[in-house]
Amino acid sequence: MKALALQLRHPRPGLQWAATILGPLLAFALFLLISGANPIELYGMMIESVFGDWYGIGEVIIKSTPFILTALAAALPAKAGMINVGGEGQLALGALVATWSAVYLLSDMPGALGLPLMALFGALGGAVWAGIAGLLKTKGNMNETITTLLMNYIAFFTIGFFCQGILKDPASFNWPFSPPVAEQLRLPTFSVTSRAHIGIFIAVAVALLVWFVIYHTRLGFRIRTVGGNAEAARQAGINVKSIQLGVLIAAGAIAGLAGMIEISGIEERLRPTTGVNYGYLGFLASWMAWNHPLRLVVTALIIGTISVAGNSMEMNSGLPASSVQILMALVLFALLIMGRRKKA
Amino acid sequence: MFGRGSQQMSAVKPERIPGQIVLEAKGLTIRFGSLTANDQVDLKVIAGQVHAVLGENGAGKSTLMKMLYGVYVPDEGTLSMDGKPVVLHPPAQARLHGIRMVFQDFRLVPALTVLDNIALAVATKGTRYSPKSMREEIAKVATRYRIDVNPDAYIWQLDLGQRQRVEILKALLSPDTRIVIFDEPTSVLTPHEVEAFLDMIQVLKKDGYGVLLITHKITEVMAVADCVTVLRQGKVTFSATKSEGFTESHLVETMMGAKPMPSIKRKEEVHRECLLDVKGLTVSGDHGQIVLEDVSFSLHRGEIVGVAGISGNGQRELVETLFGLRHTLTGNINLDGKDITNERPGVLLDMGMAFVSEDPVKESVIPGFTILEHMILGGLPMTPKGFGVDWGSTLRQLEESEDVRRLKLADPSRSASELSGGNIQRMVLSRALLRNPRLLLVSYPSRGLDIGTTKAVQQILSALADQGSTILLISEDLSELFELSDRLVVLANRQLLGPYHPLETDMHTIGRVMLKGESA
Amino acid sequence: MIVDLLTGTVRAGTAVLYASLGELIAERAGVVNLGTEGSMLSGALGAFVVTAWTGNPWLGVLAGGLCGAMMSLVHAFLVITRNANQLASGLTVMFFAMGLTAFFGRGFVQTQIHGFEPWAVPLLSDIPFIGRIIFHHDPLTYISFILVPAIWYFLFKTRRGVILRATGEREDAVYANGLSPKFIRYLAVLAGGFLAGVGGAQLSIAYTHTWVENMTQGKGIVAVALVIFAAWRPIRAMLGAYLFGGAQALQLIVQQQGYDVSPYLLFMAPYVITIIALFIVERRRVSRVPEALSGVFTGSGGG
Repeated sequence: MKALALQLRHPRPGLQWAATILGPLLAFALFLLISGANPIELYGMMIESVFGDWYGIGEVIIKSTPFILTALAAALPAKAGMINVGGEGQLALGALVATWSAVYLLSDMPGALGLPLMALFGALGGAVWAGIAGLLKTKGNMNETITTLLMNYIAFFTIGFFCQGILKDPASFNWPFSPPVAEQLRLPTFSVTSRAHIGIFIAVAVALLVWFVIYHTRLGFRIRTVGGNAEAARQAGINVKSIQLGVLIAAGAIAGLAGMIEISGIEERLRPTTGVNYGYLGFLASWMAWNHPLRLVVTALIIGTISVAGNSMEMNSGLPASSVQILMALVLFALLIMGRRKKA
Repeated sequence: MFGRGSQQMSAVKPERIPGQIVLEAKGLTIRFGSLTANDQVDLKVIAGQVHAVLGENGAGKSTLMKMLYGVYVPDEGTLSMDGKPVVLHPPAQARLHGIRMVFQDFRLVPALTVLDNIALAVATKGTRYSPKSMREEIAKVATRYRIDVNPDAYIWQLDLGQRQRVEILKALLSPDTRIVIFDEPTSVLTPHEVEAFLDMIQVLKKDGYGVLLITHKITEVMAVADCVTVLRQGKVTFSATKSEGFTESHLVETMMGAKPMPSIKRKEEVHRECLLDVKGLTVSGDHGQIVLEDVSFSLHRGEIVGVAGISGNGQRELVETLFGLRHTLTGNINLDGKDITNERPGVLLDMGMAFVSEDPVKESVIPGFTILEHMILGGLPMTPKGFGVDWGSTLRQLEESEDVRRLKLADPSRSASELSGGNIQRMVLSRALLRNPRLLLVSYPSRGLDIGTTKAVQQILSALADQGSTILLISEDLSELFELSDRLVVLANRQLLGPYHPLETDMHTIGRVMLKGESA
Repeated sequence: MIVDLLTGTVRAGTAVLYASLGELIAERAGVVNLGTEGSMLSGALGAFVVTAWTGNPWLGVLAGGLCGAMMSLVHAFLVITRNANQLASGLTVMFFAMGLTAFFGRGFVQTQIHGFEPWAVPLLSDIPFIGRIIFHHDPLTYISFILVPAIWYFLFKTRRGVILRATGEREDAVYANGLSPKFIRYLAVLAGGFLAGVGGAQLSIAYTHTWVENMTQGKGIVAVALVIFAAWRPIRAMLGAYLFGGAQALQLIVQQQGYDVSPYLLFMAPYVITIIALFIVERRRVSRVPEALSGVFTGSGGG
């Protein structure tokens, strides 16, 4: 009896995985059929656009880069038992401060000096934004999930304010965006056939660094202790609040770096829509990877792939951009339904 | 509409005919993995009689009760009521058959009032809930069984004894209740409350309830049981009715097997130098209420000071404040002449304090960490090695410790979240001892431990004090306090009373102080 | 002007009030639903579409509520039956609803509807000052006035309310009493989704009479925050919702009066005020979070 019930509850893992991958694709195909598109043709196009040439692969890498960083911005606090859903706003502020520094301070500097400084400014922007949530938590006893979420909306309007105000490009014909950053402040690309820039290496390096700190240092041990049981950490003499604050600030810096990379690598200028949803997608990538700093590189790449494929679908079939969100949500639902064992 | 069982309530015959066999279990066996928690256990519950189930911690008593209450399904064996086979799983089913359980960890909702909690448990017809008629019901039952509880108090305001009374009220207010199971009911009660409880059991018997009493206290069995079943390592080692006869010594023997118990000898002379000095301490609890008011005391080098009190009288808040986990409202604390009021735990650890929390399962275990990893959290120092920790040397220090060996600490590579309560207790005690503290704040050290390890803990604590360390010992076990302490204090009514000297007082006096404060 | 401001406060706050009340019920049962945003959004679209088709805003409200409930059913299934992480699930539902409504709402962006109009309560609306502020609204606002005490009565004065609250505190206490916590949570989350859907409906067919992509702009998230601000009490949730609504109304008035303030600063004001309000209550309150929720917000809830 017991054995049978167990088997029903836990079908074989292979089967489960197949269902998790195919389920959302089938559901989305159905959705496409209903909206009058040919799913087989579209899936074919999507696969080709992503894996057909180096350009497609380059696009996936470009798209995934900020996801890796915002995922790290969620994963690092998660290791300390906190939930940072504010990657969105932290990235936006990073992009804002990086753009501002590029336009006003660094425009005449050589890239070798200007780029690292711009990255630093970006990180600073994100760090300050996350630091506010951190202070609200440690000093005001406010839950970081809620504050980081609310601050995303404030960040969104803040960059709108600057794009329409003091950072507005005078030559923009009233469009709300900043002037472009100087040529030497653009991240170098490493491939002639695609737009892929070195941001991916930075992102992977940060992931490695976070992984090393978390699992192989005394600080990481303390962070994991706080995350495992904050009360026990307190009793062990660990200053829980300063760890929490520090970790949130570091996470914000990482997300802010993503904002800088977005500006310097792809967008050239700050727009009110810069990086919209990247923070949320990063959060979900991190969650998919059990908040593991290395595994999340893979999940971020998966989400990046879906995004790029979705863009091509948008261009080829006339379906609106929102369809991608639906596909993304279906994939995530499948993962949520499958459920997962909590890992420490 | 929410209820799954309430509609069928009337189907049950609430008859309680004394002498009739209500519930009979035969050959109950249940396994958890490789562990056989209950092995071929037989049991009868008779209306109007008390059946005591006796055994040490971990003997399988609670598991047995959870099968009778429908939490677990037995792997083998049969259950029948009134001679007919029954299925008691899930608990709703057991309740339908008139079985009620007063759990050790009460199933009450702290954020709700007594009345709300009772409303939750007692399904009235329809969905309307009439506080007025329920109050009358409560008053009626409360008078009959002499259970005194304010229906409008929040559960979190009540001490454990009062909470138990609410649980009992819940069971007795259901008209279809036939069997009441008590899981270690007296472990949270003072000596006086125990007497009142045993009186109440007599009334329950008279009213024809079948009572199952899980306990490890032989005196209670002798006082009220009509029938006793002794469990040891999941097996029945003895079973008899009162007419068949059972004696205290026989019960002890069947319960623990014959084991010599060395008694503890403390050195006579006590160092008189003051180590910790507390003046005018006022502390609030989790809900902002004052739990300790203007408390002053001091601890000397090399002494064990026992803190008695009904749990929930500020024990937790007292040690948390001394260890810097809770802020004081007023007052100051001096350690060795240095003001350490509201100092951080990290600093206090460095000054030679160590802390064993009252709820280590909840407050000391980091999920996923091994025992070894726990050792450097407030225990052994974190020895650097590169960027990381030198686990090799940590392990060596752990393995070299004599105390750790005597405590029978589990394999250091085991994950702490998989450990039983007893093994977690061993882990936190080992950790505190490895620190070789000048001042040890330890709460309920023998909780969850078998008798052998309990003795070892007591001997180690005693030896530690002999070496000059100071120990503040919080315990609910008065005999433990009397055996170990050089001085005793009592927490009651927001005051710290005493000190009393164990040789000049007795458990009844202390019990009275616990209950009524100094005026007693 | 002060009358305009207060009238505007009630009008703008009603949508958030519905969503907060819904979320309050769900959280009292122990489920945090960030998908409230999604429920509002689908409620807004559902109500708009049905109103456009049938011309009957009451059918629209019903449709909006049902759409909201359906969204929350997804969340309920994931977190209650599949034990999924509540925040991840809520965010995903939010995404899903954003995509779905943007997709299906494309054709309705220009559509004109005859939704609810403000209706002055006879006699009462003639009371000076107060009459205009309280008795000159769309029907959904009046319903929300009744809903607040009704939910309070349900939660604190009925046995079902006790059961609901107990579920959010101690699941095993409810289970030990022979009730099904999962079933209760399903009902609570669905009810919450329904109310959030009605809130969305108020936005599209009573307040603005338009459908705009992603028109809720985080009001569902604000609702979740306001429930914390309200310490899980309906009356205080009303206060919070009107605080948020007041900031929105102020923004409209400032714009109408032609003051030279960047609209972006005004847009962010309600969110800033929500944070400040939360900060103030958290500072002085001895926090009483329903126990089942504390795990969700500290990262240990659900796998």
